[in-house]
Amino acid sequence: MSGKTNSWKTVVGLEIHAQMSTRSKMFCGCVRSTETAPNQHLCPVCAGWPGALPVINQAAVRRAIRAAISLDCGVQRESRFDRKNYFYPDLPKGYQISQFYRPYALGGEIRFERDDGSSGVLPLVRIHMEEDAGKSVHAEDGTSRIDLNRCSSPLLEIVTEPLQMSGVEAARCVRSTRELLRWIGVCDGDMEKGNLRADVNVSIHREGDTVLGTRTELKNLNSFVSIERSVEVESARQAVVLEAGGVIRQETRLWDQDLEQTEEMRGKEDSPDYRYFPDPDLPLLIIEPSDIDRERDSLPESLGARRTRYIDQLKVDARDAESILARREFGDFFDQLLAAGLSPASASNWFRGEVLKHLNDREESIDDYPLTAASIAEVVEAVEGDRISVAKGREILQAALDQGCSPAKILAQTGEQVSDEAALIGWVQQVVDANPEAAEKIRAGDSKPLGFLMGQVMKASSGQAHPRRVQEILQRLIQHD
Amino acid sequence: MSNRSSLPPIDATVGEAQQWLADGHCTSRQLIDGYLEFLQGVGRQLNAVVEIFIESAQQAADQSDQRRAQGQCFGPLDGIPFTAKMNITTQLGSSDASSPMLRGFQAQEDATAVRRLRAAGAVLVGKTNCDEFAMGASNETSSHGVVSNPWDRERVPGGSSGGSAALAGSHGWSFHLGSDTGGSIRQPAAFCNATAIKPTWGRVSRRGLIAFGSSLDQICPIARDAVDCQSVLQVMEGHDPLDSTSLRQDTASQSKISRVALISDGLGPGIDASIATAVRSAAQQMASQGIEIIERSLPHLEAANACYQVISTAEASSNLARYDGVHVGVRGQSEDLQQLYETSRHQGFGSEVRRRILLGTFVLSSGYQDAYYNRALAVRDLIRQGIDQVLEDCDALLLPVSPFAPFPIGERIDDPLALYACDILTVTANLAGVPALALPCAFDEEKLPIGMQLMGAHGSDHALLEFGQRWQCWNDQHRALPQGSIR
Repeated sequence: MSGKTNSWKTVVGLEIHAQMSTRSKMFCGCVRSTETAPNQHLCPVCAGWPGALPVINQAAVRRAIRAAISLDCGVQRESRFDRKNYFYPDLPKGYQISQFYRPYALGGEIRFERDDGSSGVLPLVRIHMEEDAGKSVHAEDGTSRIDLNRCSSPLLEIVTEPLQMSGVEAARCVRSTRELLRWIGVCDGDMEKGNLRADVNVSIHREGDTVLGTRTELKNLNSFVSIERSVEVESARQAVVLEAGGVIRQETRLWDQDLEQTEEMRGKEDSPDYRYFPDPDLPLLIIEPSDIDRERDSLPESLGARRTRYIDQLKVDARDAESILARREFGDFFDQLLAAGLSPASASNWFRGEVLKHLNDREESIDDYPLTAASIAEVVEAVEGDRISVAKGREILQAALDQGCSPAKILAQTGEQVSDEAALIGWVQQVVDANPEAAEKIRAGDSKPLGFLMGQVMKASSGQAHPRRVQEILQRLIQHD
Repeated sequence: MSNRSSLPPIDATVGEAQQWLADGHCTSRQLIDGYLEFLQGVGRQLNAVVEIFIESAQQAADQSDQRRAQGQCFGPLDGIPFTAKMNITTQLGSSDASSPMLRGFQAQEDATAVRRLRAAGAVLVGKTNCDEFAMGASNETSSHGVVSNPWDRERVPGGSSGGSAALAGSHGWSFHLGSDTGGSIRQPAAFCNATAIKPTWGRVSRRGLIAFGSSLDQICPIARDAVDCQSVLQVMEGHDPLDSTSLRQDTASQSKISRVALISDGLGPGIDASIATAVRSAAQQMASQGIEIIERSLPHLEAANACYQVISTAEASSNLARYDGVHVGVRGQSEDLQQLYETSRHQGFGSEVRRRILLGTFVLSSGYQDAYYNRALAVRDLIRQGIDQVLEDCDALLLPVSPFAPFPIGERIDDPLALYACDILTVTANLAGVPALALPCAFDEEKLPIGMQLMGAHGSDHALLEFGQRWQCWNDQHRALPQGSIR
């Protein structure tokens, strides 16, 4: 491509599909879960049996309201569900219940960081609620199997206006939406599991053009890198076509992550006629101002406000703050550590070093973490009061997790750290005497055996010797021996 | 049967049969056995009943007798036999909507209406024949074959609830659950000399009703008289958490009916003269009892049937999309997915159902939706307003049920428009969502029954039924039974 491509401007519009983290599905009482064997969570309603009728899950509506408030949308007092008709084996009713004509939320915006560091605003057209389809699993032998566990899970579809932006910025928009939805407890945002995915509309036009170019749609992107790269690759493809005198057709394209290319799936003329019409099985959805107020009042401190508090007020390192803010529950636990008396720096260190590491290693949720913030703080205070070593503190927390008891109990059984000079010298002298070769090497300038001798001293003191003091004494004794 | 003489007369209503049981003339078990005998005899001859549940019915009857012996009778329906139409789901037997598509389909649960009736002690004795997916007005589209009209077995019983009406028209003691989307309970009631009400849309839960046109469908009682229909409706009605369109509270205008609008458009051209005459003389009889009769026109009545055809087929095309050969229903032989859909749906659906699916798909299609579906919605609003207008100074609308008498089997089945013409006077109530009560009013010269209907305001179901009870005190047409139905 020549320098001419510089004059092409890329415009991106997003449709973000977020599965809401309700206990049950959108229109029935089945558990919303894809974690089990296929077809464990279905009933006459979500399996589309004759005579079964949908009933709106109010917990999903409450989450949808939270999302709309947080994205500054106008929540509509009256909205309605429509049927989107099409045949597909993983769609048992032959239609998907969605909100086409009258969505529950209009307007709003996604805030994101521009490539130049300034703050960007991507306006929203609407958000609507809908139910997910099931899953088709196509085997190599040509057979297909249907899993309806996911079928009728509650979804939000967030539809944005088109905006001039880069692939990186498009990915950032999805990332900030995901962060926000996770923060307010609306969506787990686990893209690998497909509970957040995006369709991306891409078009390009010459700088100064008042009319946007013809767009193509890339469906079902389920990672930030695929969003970023597909926008870049697709806009470059369009530029090549246009510069060669070709035209862009409005069509749906598939993104191949491995080949890093897009390929045609179906043209506009082949796009299905969904024959939308109001679902006569569902009444109008009425959302009263009091419903909106109730959700607004129960929203947590906003992600932005908390980020400012951590970084600007508490002076937590920005990168560390992001890992604490990855989930609201993490931030809440961090706040509890602060409330238990820890300084922001040590709360951050211990939370990330102990709690987060433990959860990551075991791939567990913080809801299942057995230790309380107060009990961790107690151990940290013992460390910071020089009563036990850092290593001992960690050991106690680990033992508490292993034994399923409180750290306080183990802490009480642990002897206090010994800083007494005479006692320390006694242990060090004993170890140096027993290991003359090691002492000799250190005197000759090889510091390697120092760690070994340290370990021996700690062992001799049953772990109670103050490590930093031991190191000082060790060096002093060897050098002056 | 050892105690034949102790059974109630066969024209006895549910209310009278219940009194018979209370007076100790027979047991519920004897009543049920007697009714089962009728089903196996006349019921089968008419082809009105598809499945009969002998053992479970006898058990339920025995339990009812025990309750009665202990003074714990559940009420007016305890120990009384009833049937459900094949498009209403029941745990007992199958619920195939008279379609090859659902052959052998066994529902997991009773429809809410059925569940409530069984909980009130009523005894489910069988499933009745009907048009396929309730699409028809003659019971000739059924996979179980045509049903005979008990008044003339060469004629149709009406449809789609043909089986229910044929039973209700030929024997007492019992009631039957049918459904009405465009007249499917009222027209067969009129053809068979039975009483039936299409309740306000949402009064009875649709949970368990195999959907045809969801915004029009209602489960309906059909029986010997208005008292029985009211007893049944009182048990079935009320909010059901599993049907979010079921009504939460009675917003009823339940004022007593004293001013009736005789709808002149229902008595003019296209309506059999004998029927128009019968309804006019029924109006006179009401007037002689002190009811004020005002002749009125119902605006947009002529557009109602076209509006109904568009909306009902549109909804049907979507409701029946679930029968795709993948999930519930028959699966055709196929090499690939497209063929699977085509063979399954071709084999599973009869021609009338296919015709309506095609029509409905067309009227919702992009480019045609405004001209058909959206225009029909606008007409629907006008029809509602037209009824409201008449009801501003009247309590109910009086018009015939059917424009013509029960017709010979085979006469109209190959002419869809002639068949759709059956619905012209009934569809307005479904489009407006208002209740409509069908009452026997006379016989024509061939001794075929003629029915009239009263439409009331939204929620006025019980006011209509109470008026029907008064009518049936003044006129005993509803007591008549066909000769052939006597054992």
